[in-house]
Parts: sequence; C-alpha cells; structure tokens
Amino acid sequence: MKNSWTGGEVVAQPAAQPDSGELAVAVHRCEPGAFERLIDRFEQPLFTYAHGILQNAFDAQEVVQDAMMRAHKALTRQYDEARCAALALRPWLFKTVRNLCLNKRRSKRSSLEQPLESFDDGRLGPFVSLEGSDLERKEEVELLRRAMALLPVDARELIVLRFMEEMSYAEIAKTVGSTEAALRGKVFRSLKLLRDALEQKGVAYAM
Amino acid sequence: MQCRNVLTRIDALRTRELAPIEKTAVEQHLRTCRSCDESQADVDDLVHAVKSLSLVPPVSCRDAVKENIADSFDRVGDTWVAFANGRIRMIAEADSIDDIRQPYAKKYGRVLEPATIPAALRRQVLAAVGGEGVESPKVDLDAANDLEHDVLQTLTRIPRGEVRTYAWVARQAGRPRAVRAVANVIARNAVPYVVPCHRVVPSSGGIGNYIFGSATKRALLEREGVDVDELDALAKEHVRYIGSRTTHIFCFPTCRDAKRIQEKNRIPFRDSDDALENGYRPCRHCQPVAA
Repeated sequence: MKNSWTGGEVVAQPAAQPDSGELAVAVHRCEPGAFERLIDRFEQPLFTYAHGILQNAFDAQEVVQDAMMRAHKALTRQYDEARCAALALRPWLFKTVRNLCLNKRRSKRSSLEQPLESFDDGRLGPFVSLEGSDLERKEEVELLRRAMALLPVDARELIVLRFMEEMSYAEIAKTVGSTEAALRGKVFRSLKLLRDALEQKGVAYAM
Repeated sequence: MQCRNVLTRIDALRTRELAPIEKTAVEQHLRTCRSCDESQADVDDLVHAVKSLSLVPPVSCRDAVKENIADSFDRVGDTWVAFANGRIRMIAEADSIDDIRQPYAKKYGRVLEPATIPAALRRQVLAAVGGEGVESPKVDLDAANDLEHDVLQTLTRIPRGEVRTYAWVARQAGRPRAVRAVANVIARNAVPYVVPCHRVVPSSGGIGNYIFGSATKRALLEREGVDVDELDALAKEHVRYIGSRTTHIFCFPTCRDAKRIQEKNRIPFRDSDDALENGYRPCRHCQPVAA
C-alpha cells in the first residue's frame, strides 16, 4: 500500500496463520473431522465477534451457525481446490459472519444500542489493574462490557477484531473492506471512545 | 511527526506492523513527547483489559451444524451405500469411503459418517446388486432437479430382463427432444443397480457405456435374462423392432410380449414408420413409439 507520508514503503505483513489454507483444502476434500476442526477453531472467536456487533447471544449463535453452514457449502461445492488453498480463511469467515450480522441488524435495527440510562454504576468501583481479586476482576470485566455496549457498532467490531481476535490490520482490512491506513485511525478512535465510556465510570485514561 | 499521527500508529507499532521508516519516526517521537509516551502505556493497559471480554457461546453449534451437513454410510456387499432419512442417496464402488466423500459433497453438499444401514435398505441394495431387481426402490430424489427426477423415475419403470433406448427414456420422461441431456442424467445416476441405468441402450444398437464399464453392463443384463448376443445380431441387421404377424403389434426386441411371438410369426422392422405403414400398431407395454 502506497503511503505518501512514509514515502511509500511496503508494510511487512505478519505471517497469516500457517494452516488456514490447509484446513480449507481439507474441508474441500471432505477429510474426516476437517470441518469439526474448523468449527472448534473458529466458533468461539466468531461468536465473540457476532456478539460484539449484535449484543445478543441468541442472534449471535444463530448467525455463527448459519455462517458455518454457508462456509461448508462454499468450500465443498462452490470453490475448487486452488481457490480453497489460496483462501485467507479467517478474514473470509469473519466477513461471512459480519455480513450476516449486518443483515440481521438491518432487519431489527431499533433496540440494539443500549441507552445510557440502563447503566447503574453505583456499586462499581474504579477501574483497577488486572491483578486483582476474582471479585474485582469480575466487576472490572462487567464494567468493560458495559462500556463496550455504549460504543457505536463499528467501534465495537474493530475492538473485537483488533484486540480480542488480534488480527493484523491487513486481515481487518479484508474483513471489513477498508484500507490499513484508514483502519489505524478508526481503531485509535474506537479505543478513545472506549476510554471515554470508561471515564464516565470514573476510570481515567490519558491517551 | 505530529502527535496525532503518532497516536494512530501506537497500536500498529505494538504489533510491529509499521514500515521501518514509520517505526523509526514514531519511536523517535515517543522518546521526546511525554504525553504520547503515556498514551502508549494506556493503550497497552486498555488492550490488555479488553482481552478478558471474549465470550464462549452458551451452546456449541457443532451438533446442530453436523446434523445439517452429515449423512450416513455403510458397507453393503462390495459397495458403499450412502443414505439419509431411510432412503438411499448414493451407491458407489471404491476401495475406501474416502474416495467417495468428495464426489458426495459435490453432489449433496454433505459429509458422510459411518452408521448401520436399515435392514430394508440393505435388502434392496443386495437384491439390486445381486441382479434380482427391486420393485419400488427407496431412493432419495429430493436433491434432484426436475429433469433428473423425471428421468430416474422413468428408469425404475424399465422391467427386469428388458432394455430401452435413451430416446425412449427421453420421451417417457416428457422431454423427447432432449435425448443427450437425458443420457447425461442417466450417466450421472448416483444409485446404480437400484435405479437400473444399465437397462438403457443406444437406439443404434449395441449396449453402450456404463459407469462400471461395458463388460459389467453386459454381464448385468445377461444375468437379468437379456439375450445380449441376439441384440448384437439384430443391431447388425439394423433391426430395432419385432412385429407379430398374428396380432399386428410391434415391440422392442426385449419386450416380454415380443419374446412370446413364435418364430414363424416374427417380422423384423428397421424403423417404426415402416411398421406403422404396414398396419402394425405399437405395443402398449413397451411403447416403442409415442402413444
């Protein structure tokens, strides 16, 4: 990607997961257990992502299941072996889930963003470090979760992809259809929004 | 580099996704700018904290997905039989089930899991493979399109010990002009033996091709009581139909009625127009021409 500010050097890509193409080919060849491996490996991250967008476990689960079936159909019936081998499996699966989530959101747009009033923050203490007691940890996670729910959906999805799923900017660009340079700015703004949301609960980040 | 440019790159710096020249510039800035340096630490903290939010689905979709993508298979005699919902979906001959998985997925979009085949299906397969014939095969045609459905249905109506032509099947399936397409469907029959695609031969004579080879087709037909040598002899004479001088009816040579015609009353016809002009009518059982 050309970048005028840096003089256009190509950014080094972190290696993609080495076996993702192999797994796609194994599914294509219908090797026993291959698709179960795919489910075991991706179900939880995809669910986290879908939940990040939809904020509803039931819908998220439905979306993930639908995505898995579509993936199986595409890999076995629609794509030939060369295409499976060249496939970036992770962004491809996430993109499928993303599209299904956005379809679902479109069909029931209203009640998704949680209103501010629903936050009772009386009993939650300030944000402490992760090395705390279980109780503190629980509260802190709950606090974060609520702060996340306050964010706009595109900020939430970027935080999930970048920090929970630890995707590279290149992979995120493939998943959401954007450029790495644009995403760097968006991810930073998303973090800032999350910081602001946490600040309302008395947790301060300079940034 | 300005602070705002640095801030948006702190995260990429963390995962070494910056070009070397950018990396140097950002690092240089962080050494001199205190507020940006603090931001870096905050980003680290926040990122670390966010990781704890990952979720586990309340129920894995594994079983539900599997139910939607898996059919069963079992070994019956020398063949592999794939089945679902008490119906046969594919019969194949191969050394290993692994050779069948991919064609099966291509056709049905499903994977195969080992299971015990219902006794009724096992009996049908054994009877069909053993040459005994099957009256009303339990075959799953849900995945077939209209053409495939009509063609495969028509095939099941060809009686044991008789053969029909591809043109006949096309006509009976309601697509008299689509002989080539119909032949392709017959060639792709997923349930050979049980749906008797081996009982279809070219109009021009001979016995034609078969998934397991012409020799197998010949053996199958002979076992069912078809006189293949006689078919070859008739084909050499370009004889397609046999008429009876007493009833003035003409049939396919393998029709059960044609076999009953006494030698002295048999009259060969090269085409149906010839027979019709001579005042013969088509047999109602084997229907050599459209009724």
